[in-house]
Parts: sequence; structure tokens; C-alpha cells
Amino acid sequence: MATPSTQQLLQTMQGASEHLSTNDRRDFLRRGVSYVAGAAAVGGATLASATGLTSNLPPNEPQWGRQLGTGVVENPYGLPSRHESQVVRRTVPWLTAESISSISMSPLQDLKGIITPNGLVFERYHAGVPDINPDEHRLMIHGLVDNPLIFTMEDLMRFPSVSEIKFIECPANGGMEWRGPQMEALQFTHGMLSCCEWTGVPLKVLLDAAGVQTAGKWILAEGADGAHMSRSIPMEKILDDTLVVYAQNGEMLRPEQGYPLRLLNPGWEGNTSIKWLRRIEVGDQPWHHREETSKYTDLMADGRARRFTFVQECNSVITSPCPENPIVRKGFLEVEGLAWTGRGTIKGVDISFDGGVSWRPAQLKGLVLDKALTRFSLSTQWQGEPWLIQSRAYDDTGYVQPTLAQLREQRGVNSIYHKNSIHTWQVAPTGEVKNVQIT
Amino acid sequence: MFRLPKSALALALALFACAAVGASNSQDYQIGTAATAVEIAGWDIDIRADGKGLPVGSGNAINGEESYEIFCASCHGVFGEGEGRWPVLAGGEGTLADDRPVKTVGSYWPYASTLFDYIRRAMPFTAPMSLDDQQVYDITAYVLYLNDLIGEDFELSQDNLAQIKMPNQDGFFVDNRPDVSNPRCMADCADPASLMIQSSLSGITPIGHFVEGADAPASSHSGQHDLEASKEAERKAAITGEQLVSSVAQKNAVMSAEAIAGEATYKVACGVCHDSGLAGAPKLADTDAWLTRLQQGKEILTIHALEGYAGAKGYMPAKGGRADLSDEAVTNAVLFMVESQQ
Repeated sequence: MATPSTQQLLQTMQGASEHLSTNDRRDFLRRGVSYVAGAAAVGGATLASATGLTSNLPPNEPQWGRQLGTGVVENPYGLPSRHESQVVRRTVPWLTAESISSISMSPLQDLKGIITPNGLVFERYHAGVPDINPDEHRLMIHGLVDNPLIFTMEDLMRFPSVSEIKFIECPANGGMEWRGPQMEALQFTHGMLSCCEWTGVPLKVLLDAAGVQTAGKWILAEGADGAHMSRSIPMEKILDDTLVVYAQNGEMLRPEQGYPLRLLNPGWEGNTSIKWLRRIEVGDQPWHHREETSKYTDLMADGRARRFTFVQECNSVITSPCPENPIVRKGFLEVEGLAWTGRGTIKGVDISFDGGVSWRPAQLKGLVLDKALTRFSLSTQWQGEPWLIQSRAYDDTGYVQPTLAQLREQRGVNSIYHKNSIHTWQVAPTGEVKNVQIT
Repeated sequence: MFRLPKSALALALALFACAAVGASNSQDYQIGTAATAVEIAGWDIDIRADGKGLPVGSGNAINGEESYEIFCASCHGVFGEGEGRWPVLAGGEGTLADDRPVKTVGSYWPYASTLFDYIRRAMPFTAPMSLDDQQVYDITAYVLYLNDLIGEDFELSQDNLAQIKMPNQDGFFVDNRPDVSNPRCMADCADPASLMIQSSLSGITPIGHFVEGADAPASSHSGQHDLEASKEAERKAAITGEQLVSSVAQKNAVMSAEAIAGEATYKVACGVCHDSGLAGAPKLADTDAWLTRLQQGKEILTIHALEGYAGAKGYMPAKGGRADLSDEAVTNAVLFMVESQQ
């Protein structure tokens, strides 16, 4: 009988470790959650056979404890574990004609806390991501000002900086579902949403330096990308909280997010936070450009349309459970989700398990900040009962997140933008979660 | 008694003086340089609804037709009817309150000035800011003409563009939200028996990352294009009775090393148009569309790719608008496209 060589033993061990290190929950999901519902023992047995009870589990010393790992600066700019490769932005290709003027969504189902990592912030481009040399990037301020100015990046970073945690949301988030549910995943129903700590200069400081004339009531903000994306912003917003930012989550902006410079209008529809910002013109009235007439206006049932619908109203969604995160164990369950409002601060979130018949208050946890994602939580038990689970947020203006029926009654189904209605997940006795609407 | 040495006192006074000076000027940043009139003029491209910002000039639909067909029709359709998922520009009047409204320049846009502004700042899609003001006036006039808003010989100019009354100019009103008021009901908020549950459509979102085999129809734009191309090839094969031969492995077997090297460039630069047919580009998978072009010889095709080309069927900016690519990279990408047809 042949004795296995050291080489063969090493290969066997490597194979076992490879197998085990796949995320067991993911593995479990891939093979279908429908097997889960029965006794916990069934789930346990399935897991055990998946991992094969190989050498990395107690009482054995795992493979990684018996060898050296990689050294410093192996990855000078660090990367997530290779076992997290499923945590990525995704798109729905048929929404747009191609990928250059298109959108991708953040994997809200995998995120923790309230900060979106820079590589996972949702993308929206109108002409792709430009490759801008920061040494050759300029911000011009002109129009109804006493001193038209040009700033280099170095100039802008000399001003006293501010850092603020704010969400950015595309007003089309959820807009595919005005007529009915059709997105089979949280990432696609709500993922045009991210939240970062942004660092930069209040725009009013820059406008003060240029000396805005009394007739100056609006600005036009314009990007340096191929779309030269442009939006009119009223001066009241700028005096309130508009920032010109060059950093996110502690590092310079990602190219996807406007490197080296973008506008940030906290709580307002994302497209107003012009990326690759190169020019601000002060005027006495709005410009009525394409992205504030043809697009980003909300068509009502009577054929008339709302314009300058800037604010992202109070909204929330349950991120666990959700279609990507089915319930895989009976017993204790923390229901978690995200709430946000462009008008101020989240005051509270209620959870319904019965499709909106009765509601229980959830806890807000962690930081509760103005115009930032806010995480909520409710601990409960699940014993395989079917749920129609919903979250309903309310903010410090007293506004309560509406039902889809209420929005449809006011607006019809053709407005595309600003669908902030209460969202429903249907939890089956198997633990499987589906996107549904209650009418 | 504590006594401050004289020198230290002087130092303290000096520091205090500095602090005072610093405080009085703390908001006087003196950062940035004056923008000159020439610098502003180069970037000040915006047009306002009242026509402010329009350059001196004029154009008409008769002249605009040719430019439109070269630069616009491949996406927006010869009559503004739109190709594929690209925007429809004409028609749709009276549909805004319909179940399926058609929002076009004529049916929806409130101001004609927006058309000039947008064409100049962002179109054509693959080569923004490449048209001169004359072309923009001509194309603007042609799109207005397609919408029956001006006659074909109407001379559109900086003096009359903003005077054109768009049909839907009065169809907009300023945001009046919040428009709903939902009471924070906690119990007995609805009759459980009356709840109707509408299930999600299935099979149209790519969820292969958590449901095995469910990336329907595709999870990327290139995947979507491949899918549509293979369906088209199957359709043609069914008609002609030919065998389907299009696997990448078979193509690579007959490709030159240069062509294989060109595939990477194709994916990052050329595929934008040649996967989708954007700007009239022959699609990589559309062998018929390549036949006539191949007859010109690959030298001519390479020159067109390097230097740009405008023909009846479409528009190709020099190096596809990617001036950063080397001549060799572009040449190899052309070989990849040409040899993909064999």
C-alpha cells in the first residue's frame, strides 16, 4: 500500500481548507433555502456535510494556524478578504442602453453600520468616469459675483475643512416599481443609496470669497465630464449646507464619485451633487437645463409635472431579512434596516410583521445624524411563521413614510422619481424572502 | 512674588499681537486667482431659458438634416423615433396623461433653449463638445422641425430661439411636497382580510449571486449584448440552415497575435459603440455590416479608426474619442474586429 507523499498530503489539506473557507452561509444559500425550514437539526446536518467536518474545525488546529501568512505591503492598498468577493456593486443591464450612461447599485444587503465603503458607493454616470489630472483641474466661480475666481485643488484644500456624514440617493431609487414589484433583490430595489463621511469646504465660503451680488439667487453647477452635467441650485440651499468636497471616508474621492472635486447637496437628489465639479455660475434665475426639465421632473397622473423636486423624503427598508438574506435558523432573529430623510433627522422606525395591520417601534442604533443613513433594529423570534415584514420611518419634521397606495393616489404611476413608500418583504415558512407589494 | 522676565514678557506681548492680527484677518483667505474674461468665455457654455448665453449665429433644418443623420440618427432614429433604449426625440404630443406617456422634445420639454444647451454640452454622445455653433444651430432647428415646431426653412438664431413657445411650457409646477400625510397608526391599521399581495415579476433581474443560475437576462451590459448577438445569430442560422460557429476559442485559433492583443483595447474602448451599434458603429457580431467595410481593406479601416471618419451610416471620432490610446493599440483593436469576422 502506497504511503501518500508530503506533497499529496499538503494538496489534500489545501483542498480541505479551500472548501471550508467558503462562507458557509453563502454556500447554504446557493443550495437553496427551501431545505431550511424544518428542524434545526436538518440545517445542522446540511452544514456539516457541506464542510465535511474537515481538519480546520475544533478540536483540530486549523491550517492557517500552522503556517505563515503574507507580509506587510503585500497589498499596498488593502483589499477585502477573497471570501467576500460577492460584495460588489451590480447593475440591471436592461435599464439603460449601455454602461457609460448608466447606474449601479450598492450591496445594502451586505453592509454594516451606516458608512458605505468607497468601492461600494453606487455609481451614476451620464458620460462615463473621466480620468482627471488633479493638477490640471480648476474650479471657476463667475456670473453675478464681484470677483470671478479660479481655484486649484491646492487652493481649495487651504480653506478650513469640514467633514460630515451624509447620504446620497438617486431620486430614481425604487422607481422601477411604481406599477408593481419586479426587482427580486434589495440591491436592485433600494441600492441607489450610499452614505459617506465627506470632507471639503462649505460652498458659501467660496462664494463669499467671490462676493455674490444681491441679485444672485441661483447657481449653476457644472461637471468637467463629457456630459458637462449641469443643475440649477437655489441660493438658500447653499447658505444652508452645500459643500464642495474632495474626500470621502478619509481618502480623496474615488474617480467614480467625482475625483478630484464634487458638489454635495445633503439630502437632495443625488444628481444635484455634481461630480467632477469645474464651474459655478451665479445667476438671478434657474437655467432649466436638460437634467431639470426632460429628466428629474416628476410626471403626475394629469400630465403635468413637478420640477425642482430636490428633497429625498423620509424612507426606510429592512436589510435583514431580505431576498439576499433569507432566514436560515429558527429562533432568535435581529431584524435590521436603514432609514434616512433629506429633511433632517430620523426620529424613529416602526416594524410590521403583518403587512401593516399592527406596528412595533424599532430601536435606532449607532449614530443618528442629520441627512445620514440611520440603522434600526428589532430583536424577535421566528418559528417559521409567514411574515409580511415592513418598516416605516418618521423624521423630525413629523413626516411619516407613506404607503405606495397613498403615493399613487397623489401622483399616479408615471413619475419615475421619489418613490419613498413603505416596502414589503414576504417571508415564507421556509425562510425564503420575496419582494411583494400590498395593495 | 512671581516676576516675569522682561524678555519673556516681550515675547508674550509679541505673540498676543500676532494672535490679534490672525484673528482679525481669519476670514480674509485671499485664496484663488482672478478669472480672466478669456478664461470665463472658454468655459461659459450654458444657455438659459430666456436665451441668455446663446452665441451669435443661426441655422436651419435643411442644413441640419445632414448633420443629424451623421451624428444623431444612429441612436435617436432618422425621424427622432429612437433606436433601442436610446431617447425618443419627436412625437408623443398629447400622451402625457396616458397610461404610457411618450416624453419627447415636442411633447414634454418646456424650453427650446435647453436643446441648444444640451446638444452643445453633451452631444454627440461619443464626442461631446466636438460640434461648432453652426452645427448646433442646424441640428437644434432640425429636431424642432421633426417636432413640427418650425418650418424647414425657418432660420433659427440667437434672437428667436428663446421666443419659440414649446407646447408643454406651462405643464410644469414647482415641487409642492409633502403631498401625502400618513398617520403613525400602531394597531388595527388595516383589515387583514383586505390585504392583496402582489408578487414580484421573476426572471428579469440578475440574481445569480444568491440564486444559482438566475442571472436573467444578464448581469452586465456586455453580457446583455452577447446574449442579444447570440439570439440574432441563432435566428439567422435557423433561416439559412447554417451551423452556428462563433465560439471565442475557434476565433482565437485563426487570429493573429496582434488581433488577440487588440481584444483588450476593444473591451475598454471600442466596445462602447461596437457592442451596441452606437453612433452607427458596425456591431462586432454583425458580420453582414462588416462585409462592405472589409472590402475597403483593413488599411483604410485602420486609417479611419486612427483619424476619424464620418459617413452615411455613422460617425467615428479619431481613435474612438480615446486620444490616450497608442496607434498600435488602435491598430490591433481594428485587427481584432476584422479578424473576428472570419
